Amino acid sequence: MSGGIARGRLAEERKAWRKNHPHGFVAKPETCTDGSVNLMVWQCIIPGKPGTDWDGGFFPLTLHFSEDYPSKPPKCKFPQGFFHPNVYPSGTVCLSILNEDSGWRPAITVKQILVGIQDLLDQPNPADPAQTDGYQLFIQEPTEYRRRVRQQAKQYPPLV
Amino acid sequence: MADSTEDFEPLFDYSRVQPLNFVSLDDDDDDDDTASPALSPKRRRIAKPIVIEDLEENTNVIQIADSGKNEELDWLSPPPKVSRNAQRTVVEDSTLKELRLKKKELESFTQSAEDVLRAVEESVKLQLGSSMQSSLEAVADQPSKPTCERVKIVISIQDKDGTKQFRIYTDDKFERLFKMYADKIKLDIQNLVFSFDGDKINPAATPDDLGMEENDIIEVHVKSS
Repeated sequence: MSGGIARGRLAEERKAWRKNHPHGFVAKPETCTDGSVNLMVWQCIIPGKPGTDWDGGFFPLTLHFSEDYPSKPPKCKFPQGFFHPNVYPSGTVCLSILNEDSGWRPAITVKQILVGIQDLLDQPNPADPAQTDGYQLFIQEPTEYRRRVRQQAKQYPPLV
Repeated sequence: MADSTEDFEPLFDYSRVQPLNFVSLDDDDDDDDTASPALSPKRRRIAKPIVIEDLEENTNVIQIADSGKNEELDWLSPPPKVSRNAQRTVVEDSTLKELRLKKKELESFTQSAEDVLRAVEESVKLQLGSSMQSSLEAVADQPSKPTCERVKIVISIQDKDGTKQFRIYTDDKFERLFKMYADKIKLDIQNLVFSFDGDKINPAATPDDLGMEENDIIEVHVKSS
């Protein structure tokens, strides 16, 4: 029953996204090999914000929705080893609005999640580190941190 | 008022088109409102409804005779039989028989004539249709596809600064839309990349190919050369 709610909501989210979404962003449910659509897993792309070190990068993000969505937030994952103070080595994003015990509200849309993560890219939260590499460079070697960020942006060029 | 209704009577003789109910309603009205001016049409109408009723009775008779075998033969079937017999006895007259035969002959004649006419008409229609089609095809070969009901949808093309809306055919290749857009923003089409759902759009594809719907968004990226 809750799965029906999740799928219904996700269908609505997808519909709304098709009609209106911020430029450069992609968010679409996974298509299985047999051509069917899996609404519970979305393949997304978050563009780096123009004017920041992240600019020019198009970062792939996967949203994993559970049957308890939207009571519980989706798990948002960058590729493994993604360089950012608030991204776990597994790639999972650590962000307050994605935490069911703190900032998550069922009314938060997919669009708000993606824009929120785009904001997080250039504004890491040093109070909540998720990986040592990114966190320590950010705190101790800002220049090297920025170089690494720009390098990573080049690793994710636009697909088109 | 009365004059005007009288004037219209011959034009709209509803009794022909619409049987019983309509006529009886009119009759009531006439009785209530004006007695004398509506007299002549009234008579006409009375004559026709009766004919219609007769026809209906006859069909009813047949229906009853068919279904009567199954249920309640006792009181349903006898009356129709009587009426049929009555008609038969009248018909049995020899002159009437001859007349009937003649009538049948004539009918067959008219039928065959009608058939010939119909055949001619159909052949003409066919010829016309085929010639029309061939001419249509000839015309359509040069420009775009000749689909009878082409679906149009509104598509937004979104760049960094905003969106522009275009109304396009879902079976029309994207290249036309892209050219239109490039002309509008005065940029070389070579420097524009169009994508839908993160995938680059092949200019030779159509909105139908990509399963596009009303108000879908195409994103355009300007190549940094």
